[in-house]
This record gives sequence, C-alpha cells and structure tokens, in this order.
Amino acid sequence: MKKIISLVLALLMLLTCIPALAETFPAEGYDGSEVTIKFRHVITKDDQLALVNDAIAEFNKIYPNIHVELENVGGSYNGILDTSKTELPAGNEPNIVFCYMDHIADYNNQAGAVQVLDELIDHPVVGLTEEQKADFIPGYYKEGASFGDGKMYALPFYKSTEVLYYNKTFFDENNLTVPATWDEMEAVCAKIKEINPNSIPLGYDSEGNWFITMTEQLGSPYTSATEPHYLFDNDVNKDFIKKFNDWYNKGYVTTAGLYGGYTSGLFTSSEEMRSYMSIGSSAGATHQRPQKNEDGSYPFEVGIAPMPQVDPANAKAISQGPSVCIFAYKKPVQEILASWLLVKYLTTDVTFQARFSIASGYMPAIKSVLDNAEYQEYLAKADGGDNVAVQSVKVGMSITDAYFTSPVFNGSSAARNQVTALLKKCLGMSPDELASGIDAAFQDAIDECEYAN
Amino acid sequence: MSQKSIQVMQAQDLKKVTTKQHFGAFFGKAGVYLFLILIAVIVLFPFYWMLISSIKSLYEYKLSKPTLWPQQILLANYAEAFTTANLGRLFMNTAYVGIVSTLLSLFITIITAFAFARLQFKGKELLFAALLATMMIPGELFTITNYMTVSTFGWMNTFTALIVPFLVSVFYIYLLRQNFLQIPNELYLAAKVDGTSDWKYLWKVMVPLALPTLISITILKMMGAWNSYIWPRLVANDEAHRLVTNGLRDAFTDISGDTNYSVQMAAVALVSAPLFLVFIFLRKYIMAGVSRSGIKG
Amino acid sequence: MVESKQQWKAWLYLAPAIVLLLIFTVWPIINTVRMSLLENYNGLKAAGGASFNFGFANFEKVVNYRRFGQCMKNTLLLCVITVPISSILALLIAVALHSIKRFQKVLQTIFFLPYVTNSIAIGMVFAAMFNIVGSFLGTDQEIVVTAGIINNIIELFGGTKVNWINYGSTYAANMFVMAVYIIWNALPFKILILLGGLASINKQYYDAAKVDSTPRWRVLTRITVPLLSPMLAYVIITGFIAGFKEYTSIVGIFGEAMGPANDSGRLNTMVGFIYDSLANNNQGRASAAALILFAVILVVTVINLQVSKKRVHY
Repeated sequence: MKKIISLVLALLMLLTCIPALAETFPAEGYDGSEVTIKFRHVITKDDQLALVNDAIAEFNKIYPNIHVELENVGGSYNGILDTSKTELPAGNEPNIVFCYMDHIADYNNQAGAVQVLDELIDHPVVGLTEEQKADFIPGYYKEGASFGDGKMYALPFYKSTEVLYYNKTFFDENNLTVPATWDEMEAVCAKIKEINPNSIPLGYDSEGNWFITMTEQLGSPYTSATEPHYLFDNDVNKDFIKKFNDWYNKGYVTTAGLYGGYTSGLFTSSEEMRSYMSIGSSAGATHQRPQKNEDGSYPFEVGIAPMPQVDPANAKAISQGPSVCIFAYKKPVQEILASWLLVKYLTTDVTFQARFSIASGYMPAIKSVLDNAEYQEYLAKADGGDNVAVQSVKVGMSITDAYFTSPVFNGSSAARNQVTALLKKCLGMSPDELASGIDAAFQDAIDECEYAN
Repeated sequence: MSQKSIQVMQAQDLKKVTTKQHFGAFFGKAGVYLFLILIAVIVLFPFYWMLISSIKSLYEYKLSKPTLWPQQILLANYAEAFTTANLGRLFMNTAYVGIVSTLLSLFITIITAFAFARLQFKGKELLFAALLATMMIPGELFTITNYMTVSTFGWMNTFTALIVPFLVSVFYIYLLRQNFLQIPNELYLAAKVDGTSDWKYLWKVMVPLALPTLISITILKMMGAWNSYIWPRLVANDEAHRLVTNGLRDAFTDISGDTNYSVQMAAVALVSAPLFLVFIFLRKYIMAGVSRSGIKG
Repeated sequence: MVESKQQWKAWLYLAPAIVLLLIFTVWPIINTVRMSLLENYNGLKAAGGASFNFGFANFEKVVNYRRFGQCMKNTLLLCVITVPISSILALLIAVALHSIKRFQKVLQTIFFLPYVTNSIAIGMVFAAMFNIVGSFLGTDQEIVVTAGIINNIIELFGGTKVNWINYGSTYAANMFVMAVYIIWNALPFKILILLGGLASINKQYYDAAKVDSTPRWRVLTRITVPLLSPMLAYVIITGFIAGFKEYTSIVGIFGEAMGPANDSGRLNTMVGFIYDSLANNNQGRASAAALILFAVILVVTVINLQVSKKRVHY
C-alpha cells in the first residue's frame, strides 16, 4: 500500500513538473518547416479584415510555409476569453489570440498556458531589434509586463484611450476654455450650468475607467499585482468620490449607469436636454458626432481634447484595446516560433499598422507610423465633423507618454467590476447618505473582491 | 351517451335558454375576446418594437427619446443583415442540425417515454425520479465536462458535436410519458389480446394518439436548435458549422464593441421568420392530429 | 418468464437514452461532485498540474458568502411569484382560446410569437420599456429625457411615473419588472402545452355541462382543470425548475451588474452566483453552489410530485 501511495505521489510530482519545464528555442529560430497557425481575433468589418489578409499575404512572401488560419469570434473580447478558457485544458486552444491583460491572468491559472515573450524578444535571430522595441508606444509596450513577475506576455495590436469631446460651437459662442484639469472642469461646469441650467454639462460613460484613472492621476493605491491585491479603500479615493458626488448633486455630471443610457446620446442630442462635454473612448469618436442636418452640415462642431488631469505635468490617460498573446500549452516549438513571427510582423509593420489605424479609428501600437506618408496625409484631414475619428486619433497620438495600465493578477477584473459599482453607487447618493455610507460602500467592494478571488 | 342523444338533449335545452342568459353569453364572449385581445397587445408590443427598430437608422435607434415610428425607413438593414452575417449559410447549418436532431430526438423520446409509461421493469419509479432530478442541475456546469468528452471523441467542429449531446431531453420524455399515461390501458390490453407486439402497438396506436404532443416537441426542439448559443460557439464555431444565434450575436459588433442594433434586430426578425412560418404550417397539423386521434368522441 | 422478457425488453427501449445520459449527463454530474469536494478547485490550475485538498471548504465558502441569503431569496421569490401567475394566466388564455371560433387561429399564432424570437432582442426591448433615461431622479435637479413607454402609459392615465430599474429604484419595483418579463417569456410554452391538452379533452364532458347549464367558472374548475391536470402538473413542475434557474432574464434587464445602479448584485440569483464563480475560475465553488441549488430544487420537486400524485387524474 505504501509503495502504491509513494508511486502515485511520484507520478503526481512528475505531472506537476511538466508544465514548469521552460520551452527553449533553437538558436537558428524558425526552421522553415510547414506549420499552420490559428489566429483568433474579433475583427468583423470587411475592409479591416482585408487589411489583415493583405498583411498575411506579405508575411507569406517571407515565410511561405507558415499557413495562417483566421478565426473570428465576433466583436466580443469576452467571447474569446470564454472560448479559449474552455479549450485550454483540452489543449485545443489556437496559437494567437486577441487579449486584454486580465485574460492572460486568467489563462495563466493553467501553468505555462501563455508563452513568455522575453526569450523570443531577445532571441538573436527572430527577436526584436532595439530600434523596434523603442518604436512601440512605451505605455502600450509596458502593458505586456504588468503581471508583477517582470515578464512580457503580450504585444499591443491596436489601442485607444479616453479623450474629452466637447461642443466646440457652444464653447466658442460662450468664450469657454476647454478644461485641462479637473479644477478647470469644475469651473467650466459651473459656467455652463449658469448658461443653461437645464443641461448636464459633462457625461462620462465608463465609471470603472473614471475611478481607475483618478487613482492613477492622484497617485493613490488601487490594486497591486502582489498580495495584498486590493488597496483602493483609502482616504484619497474617498475624497475624490466625495468631490464628484458633490458635482453630481449640483447637476454637473452624469455617467452611463446613472443616466440609464450612453451619455454620448445626450451629447449629440438635438433636443433641448443636452450635455456639452463627454468623456469617452477615442475609438468611439463617430458616436460623439451629431447626426447631419438635411443640408449636409452638422448641428455643431465636435472638439476633442486630452483627458482632464489632476496635474498636467504628470498626465495620465488609460490605455485600452487589444493586445495579442501566444498560447504555449501543448504547442510544438516551431508553431510557437511561427506564431511569434506573425505577431512580430503585424505589430511592427508600419504599413499594416498605419492602414489598420486609418480603417478602424484605433491608434497604432508603434510611433514610426507617424512618419508614414500615407498616415500623415490621413492625420491632416482631421476635423470636427466628417473626419472626427481622425481628430481623436490625432489627439490620442499627442499624449502617448501619458498611457498607464493597472497591475494585472488573478482577480484584477473583479476589482474593476467592484469599483465600477462603487462609483455608481456613491455618485448618486445625497451628501448625507454619502457621509454615513461611504465607508461601508468601500468595505463592501473590498469584501466582494476578496471573495471573488 | 351517444352523440345523437346528446344533440337531441342540447336542442331541447337551447329552447329553455332565457333572454337573460343570452345577454350573459354575449357579455361572456365579449369578455373573453377583450381579455384575449388585451393580452395579445401586450404580447405583440415587443415585436412591434423589434420590427420598427429593425428599419431605423442606428442613430435613431440610439436616441434617448425613442420614436414610436421610424423617421426614415431603412429597409437596407435587412439586406445588410443578410450579407453581413452570411445568413444563408447559417440558415442551412441550423436547419440541418435542427432537422436531424429533432428526428433522432423524437425517436429516442418516444421509445423511452413508452418504456416508462407502459412497460414494467424493476426500479422504474426510481429511474424516472432520477431522470427528473437531472433536469435540476444548471446545465452550465455540464459544459466544461462535456467539452472535454466531445474533444476526446474527436468531434470538434462537426455536426455530431452539435447534435448528439442533446438528443435526450428529460423534459420531452416527461411530457410524452404524461401523454401516454392518458391513453386508456384498455387499448393496450386489447392489443395484447389481439397479439399485437409492443413495438407495433407503440407506432400504430400510441404515436398517432400522441401526435399533438409530438408536434409540440418538434417545435420546441427546432426552437432549441435555433436558440442554442453557448455550446455551438464552443464546439463548432467554424464557418462550415456555425449556427444562427452565434452568427447573430457576433456579426454586428465591431472591434470597439459597438453593436449595430438596428441591423441586429433585422437579422433577428429574419431568423424568426422561418420558425414562425413553420408554426403557422404545423398549427394546422396540430388540429388535424387532434381530430384524427382516437380520444375525441 | 414473461416477467423477465418484459424486463429485458424495457431496458432495450431505454438503452439509447441511458447510454447518452450516462455520457453527457451522469458523468458531468459525477465530475461536478468531484470538483465540489476539492478545495478551491480551479479547472485551469488543475490542467496545469495543480492538486487540491479534499474537503467541504467550497460548501462553507458558498454558504458564508455575504449575499448568499439574498441570492436564495431572489431565486425563491421569483419562483413563488412567477410560476403560479404564469400558470393560471396560461390556463385562462388557453381556455379562452379554446372556447372561441373567430380569430382563434390568429390569436393562437400571436400567443406563440414570443417563442420564435431570439431572447436577446426581447430582453433589450423590455429594458427599454421600463428604463428612465435621465439623471438626478427624485431630487429637485431631476432631468428626465424619456421616462420609458410604461411610464408614459401610466402618466397618460394620470399616474406618476415609477422608478422601475434605475438608480434609487426599490426592490419591489425591480421584482415587479422581473416578474412581468419572466411571465411574458414563460407564457407561450405553457399555453402551447395546455392547448394541446385541451384539444384532447373529450367534448362530451362539455356537452353534458351545457345541458346542465353549469356556470362557466364551474366548468373550468370542475371539468377543465381536473382533466387538464397532467398537463398542468407538467407546466407547474417544469416552471419551478426553470424558475430556480433564472439568470439570463435578469441580465437582459439589469445587465451583468445584476441590479440597479445604486445596488449592484441586488437581484443576483443562485445561478448568477454560479456564473460569477465560473467567470472567476472557481469551478469548485460553482459546483458546490450548483449542488446546493440542486438539493433545493429536488425538495421542491418532490413536494410538487407528491401533491400532483394526489391531485392529478390519469
């Protein structure tokens, strides 16, 4: 009996050791053998897909034996997460997937599921050159290594940030200056409220982004990749919530959760009830543009400015949009190498990155796109009407140093969900309710996070 | 009581009906119609909403103040829905899975329900209770284990993976068993005396008698194929096998996560249409099935 | 001899169902029990080679969840409200439909409509019907862009608008909306089943009642209901089972937050909890919650079956 137990134990130990064995890559890199790799993405628009296919065709001129199968899960990043998570234990996962950093934390519950990229990045043959590394927008590149272990797991594919949309026509008419800080924002809101008491000056769609961005701008703790994970229950955070609650109670601001719909609808409205500023994704610029009048003109011109800051000298803006990671579970070395070559090609090829940005309204992952003639021509078209999307990309590309990402760990998505609920809940309280309820609300959010983990 | 004597009695009885009762009957009928029409309006409203949403522009759809009638009618949404989602292919796949799984499922349901309703065997009650009990576990929990099983069988991206795991439905077995139990035992005993085999009795007597229920099951099963989502996405999400709901959910969302709702609504309407037609067509059969059945009269 | 032949035959009839059930239902259940008994079991970690202690920690963790009581309460309340109402309503509609001649086909088709439409679309429509778009509700700042169709109707009849699902809405209002939506969703299936049952009732019973000029409601309670009892039992039992699994309908109205903006998670149910646990890779906890839910449904179903055994006429 003892023998059997020790045998079983030994077997178990052996089993647990297998995934821990590091994959080592041959010095010569990819050997040119026939490989088929599966690439799962969310791109549905024909013109964008055509660009990806063109890029793969170019890629195949260099590597004719790497066959790429595209698989589309529709515009849902969660769809990719759920599907891939179910496939992983069975070893059916694709080679490359679109991902958010939270997803990687999820996948990596299964030891060694996601390929660590450092060895590939530094590989003498297939790696990235120093020039290529430096070309990535720093905030986006660093995102791939926000897991607290110092390792890179992903490269940025296309990205967006949050920007401030404002009604330029209205601002010009009333001689208002576009707020660059939250203090200025408060003053502008007060003025707008005087001009039109029946308006809500500012709409902010994503409560979660708001909370996280504020912690980053204020330098106050939010989460940590190492234990203890959940640090957002502190006085600095309570203070900004109290301030915004005051704004809400003065009628300065509303959010999607409190408004019962996207606040961009209020911003673009042609009805009496409206807002004059809206903070939203730079990739959603066309949703922040009012519908054309019958003569083809727009009811008002849309202005776009960077996100308001606590301290403009130390600007912070959230980074969103997918990265790509490579699965390693039960994958042959040559497949991983081929996947890496494709990832490297798509994320560093200036032509592809430029054209995809033009077609999608997302920002490219690399800076050298700005030197591309085709892209410069595109950026020159920026305006507050037909080419509002170009304008938003332009603003986004002007603040590339500001991009931050939050720490990622198993349970970081729970933190995001909880602070979203927390901000919604506190924002709508009366001052009295808030004074007596804010501590409990924070504690609840922390409890829920701890429980989920 | 013979049919004729009832009719005679009814005729005599009708003469006795007073004016007061006439009024009562009239108001009764009116009340019934009023009730039905009221509910019908409530039931129809979301559909009305879906249909008008499907011909609105996305901008109009997203207006904070919704319009009860579209400002501009955009039939192009339908064309876009059809091409964007590759609906033709999705329809074919779904119809194939729907028909095959319905036929196989009906067969299994019939023989199983028959065994539970008519045959005697040890542990029948216990087995039936156990069967019912399986309905009570949320199916989501099965997903992961079943995925592993299907993957081990090598069924990934095949129609088999979409059909086989759901062939047995305890719901339908239960429903049909209830129906079989209603068929008088005397018929069965008489058939036994005539030397009819169980098998023959099942298909010649019981199945025709239970036709309305079987048609109901058919519709429900088809509906299931039409609406299933999570499982098909996992096991057969390639172009050649993708089913309609997957196509619907995913096709109209762009990379920023924005969904073109009006076009999606148009697609939903398009997808519902065949089912609706199938129902109108089968509804007659339900009635026909009833009139032919041996229960009546 | 005859006895054993019958036995053998019965199992032959049952074989296909049993084989399929063993593979696709029983095995997953066994696996669920296994996962529930491994502390903090995580499927991905397991695939990566991690091992887990045996014990009841998952069950403890589920029961000790701060909102476990709330989840249970929501689940039970939704069942107790929606199942009787939808069953009675379906019965009345089916009987009414059965009693008329004119427009019967049209109305039948209308009542079946909800069944053929995709539930995603209908969820969006329902949310829009009750949703108030606006801010600062209930304060003197109040700004309302649109109060929703339901509130428009209430205001048309001189009432004041109700905050159904938005910030600051009451639990009762939330539950009302959920009940309406769930009942609406459940009706077509129940009507279909009951109509099927009605069609198979011997007309002579009714003719006899006519002769005695029995009042309408007496015909309903004394003839229709008893004769329909197997179908009614089916509709009620399966209604309860479906009711205990309520989740997607709540997501349809309230979104993933499972509650109004001021109280996320207020309307969470047991199945909602299971989904949350699965999303966090806590398969062990999800399995334990599923087994607890299973136990509850089992008890309710056994009671249901006992009652129906006494009441149902075969």
